[in-house]
Amino acid sequence: MKYSFYLFLVTISFAACQKNTAVTTIPVTSATVKDLVADTIIGTSLQGQPYGANKFTFYSLESNKIIASTDSASTKWDLAFKGTTILTNGGTSGPGKGGAFVYIGLYDGVTAVPADSTFKTDNAPTYAITTGSNKGWYVYDGMNNLINPIPGRVLMIRTANGNYAKVEILNYYKGGVTPSATASDAIKSSEQRYYTFRFTYQPNGSKTF
Amino acid sequence: MRYSHYLVFFCFFITTTLQAQNSDTLSGAGDEIVVTATRTERKLSNVAVPVSIISQKKIQQAGSLRLNDILQEQPGIFLTNGFGTGIQMQGLNPDYTLVLIDGEPLIGRTAGILDINRITVGNIKKIEIVKGPSSSLYGSEALAGVINIITNKPNNNTLNVSARYGSFNTTDINIRASFNKKKFSYQGFANAYFTDGFSIRPNSVERAIAPIQRYTTQQNFGIKFSPKTSLSINFRYNDEKIKNIIAVTNNGVVTSSEGNEHNKDINTTLQLTHKYNNNLKNILRLYTTQFESLQQLATSNGTPYTDYFKQQFARLENQTDYIVNKQLEINAGIGYAIETANSTRYDNSNNQKNNQIGFAFLQSEWKPSPSFTFIAGARYDNNQLYAASFSPKIALQLKANNKLVFKASIGKGFKAPDFRQLYLNFTNAAAGGYSVFGTVEAQKIITQLIQIGQIASLENDYYRLGELQPEYSTGINIGANYTINERLNFNLNAFKNNINNLIDSRLVAYKSGGAQIFSYLNVKNAYTEGIEIALNYKATNTLSFTGGYQLLLSADKDDLNNINIQKVYTRDANGYSRLMQKNEYIGLPNRSKHMANMNIQYDHNKSFVNLRLNYRSKWAVNDKDGNGLYNTNDEFANGYVQVNTAAGKTLNNKLSIQIGCNNLFNYEDVNNLPNMPGRTFYTKLAYSFFQ
Repeated sequence: MKYSFYLFLVTISFAACQKNTAVTTIPVTSATVKDLVADTIIGTSLQGQPYGANKFTFYSLESNKIIASTDSASTKWDLAFKGTTILTNGGTSGPGKGGAFVYIGLYDGVTAVPADSTFKTDNAPTYAITTGSNKGWYVYDGMNNLINPIPGRVLMIRTANGNYAKVEILNYYKGGVTPSATASDAIKSSEQRYYTFRFTYQPNGSKTF
Repeated sequence: MRYSHYLVFFCFFITTTLQAQNSDTLSGAGDEIVVTATRTERKLSNVAVPVSIISQKKIQQAGSLRLNDILQEQPGIFLTNGFGTGIQMQGLNPDYTLVLIDGEPLIGRTAGILDINRITVGNIKKIEIVKGPSSSLYGSEALAGVINIITNKPNNNTLNVSARYGSFNTTDINIRASFNKKKFSYQGFANAYFTDGFSIRPNSVERAIAPIQRYTTQQNFGIKFSPKTSLSINFRYNDEKIKNIIAVTNNGVVTSSEGNEHNKDINTTLQLTHKYNNNLKNILRLYTTQFESLQQLATSNGTPYTDYFKQQFARLENQTDYIVNKQLEINAGIGYAIETANSTRYDNSNNQKNNQIGFAFLQSEWKPSPSFTFIAGARYDNNQLYAASFSPKIALQLKANNKLVFKASIGKGFKAPDFRQLYLNFTNAAAGGYSVFGTVEAQKIITQLIQIGQIASLENDYYRLGELQPEYSTGINIGANYTINERLNFNLNAFKNNINNLIDSRLVAYKSGGAQIFSYLNVKNAYTEGIEIALNYKATNTLSFTGGYQLLLSADKDDLNNINIQKVYTRDANGYSRLMQKNEYIGLPNRSKHMANMNIQYDHNKSFVNLRLNYRSKWAVNDKDGNGLYNTNDEFANGYVQVNTAAGKTLNNKLSIQIGCNNLFNYEDVNNLPNMPGRTFYTKLAYSFFQ
């Protein structure tokens, strides 16, 4: 298993417009994560159903890195990935303040969490980031047995610590490239569950990015 | 009719002028006769709607065996793969073209598709293709148009045999005999077709075309009681055994199966014709048909698979043709039909589904002057199972001069919901357990599942489930035919089909385990539009050229609406979402924007050589960017040209020999054209004992 991260740090200066003399510079993290494994296929059942090890990969948006699964009961992680399921650190999933909702629109267009929006929390078996084809972030192409992230879907995230982030899932396959519709099932199976996503994390607690 | 009448034409859009020039080979025939456009015999040059004719000569010289072989070489016809080979005409799905044999409908569609591989061309006299809605005469299914296969009728005493052998051990044998005595006529036809099948996918156990044995026979008896009254009895039987080796993959689950599919169809027509006088004719027809399909597979997961489907259709109808005067003719019909189906795909294969249809139609043709024809007609279909349909149509033809003819028609077409859309009860146990229920079943089954707590959630579309309505279209065709000179003819037709109430499957509920339940709803509205051009050029007495082209545009109206309100996204090169622009939208999938055909033919004495080109531009196959519609970012099958050629010679009027090569340049597309083999060869011998 190989992970590669391409990290861009964009630093935007926020001149705090208080009367205080101290000027704080809080970096907003924007990054693209490639090939984050999410319980990749390790075998095929007797019925022919491919399966993984049933393990989530925990990720911290704040520190932009994978968190060991031994810390799954902590507030160190913000998102957890297993197959097409994405957890937030809150509700039935973790001890944090996490929540989320799926926003329809463009990633760059979301400069702030819309004022009237409501964050949902995980309440297994339903999750803040709705699971199921064409319900949350992806559509399952049953004809070709492929998972395609739906364009124009932004995951609005409240992190474990109660900060805000936006996430766009770009691809579900290794190397960020969806196999051809006509690729073999072996390829479709072995190359799936590798997330490529981009995110912007606002560490100062505000709802603007 | 003499045999020579239908052997001599080799152009689709032949004109009176052209024929006058060729009168030496035309046996003095004035004009080709068309029956499908108006349900009465009309000269092609007098028909006000777009019609094309494929002659027997054309079919034979193309080396065709099955109906799909010859239709794929026609302009504006795109053949679809999946559940057999279907006909897409004017950009409409195969569900919406009515296929008739001698004026009576073929049944036995799977998922709306009538597999035209079932039809041998061995006894086809001609094929008439009427484009545009024709429900005003034919009722359900005739939205895109009608393809009427007209078989040979008893003529003079004949006995012909032919045998063809080619690649993949494809063997085709035909015997045809007919005799004609004063009052009694008979024609018998038998065809046997065998192929080993093939797969162009390397190392595949599945065959794209499976090993098949097919037998067809058609028997036609005619009795002339008097010069005014005649009876014809027509019987057709078709039997096909297909060897299946199937590897089904769904949700990543692979199940391999092996077994056979056995399809049988029987058609019987009794027709009593009585001419009261030269102006009044009555035709009473009783048609019964049955299609039966049994597929039995042994599967690798241990569960044997049996799929059984039986459909029966019986219709009694009476048509009266009355010539009121030189200007006016009226055709009136009335009839009653019963349709039944049993299937393992329904709740219980012993439980027969029934539908009854009563209908009446009326058409009047008014010809106030030799240069002007006006047709108005309408049909009313009253159904037991769904709403009644009223289908009007008007058409007019104007001969501006002896070179230029204009045609225009507008009509309504409909397709009644089929048994599958009402009663299907299918759960794919092997693959995740998703289910598809017909609308009648869906509400019943889901209610039961709710009671036992098996439903996790109901989707919005569940609440929209109700009585299915027929699908409707309104089609307009406007065209012109221009005979530039005796050698050159040009035909143009512009069409637009507005289709409403389209039935589509929709997700209606989730089961507790997460399995999806689908059902059918009248949800979609779409249109197709385009231009067809046909060109006929007889360069010399021996060299001729025909060409056809179709431009096709289509759209799902909901897609268009979503694009307009800026709700549709796609991705840029980085994978980032962006708004999709309207000009990126390509409309309905599986349709080529450009299609063209060309045929160059050389005839000399009793020999011929032809070269036939078929072009299809790229077509969308997969919504790669996941936005739910088809745009330039999606996956396309490449456009291609297929070139076929054939040559033949007739020796001493009895023996003829033909050789041919299809797909001369060996074009293959493993993924998108699995049914198209690479280069294939054949040779054919035919012998006429007497004629």
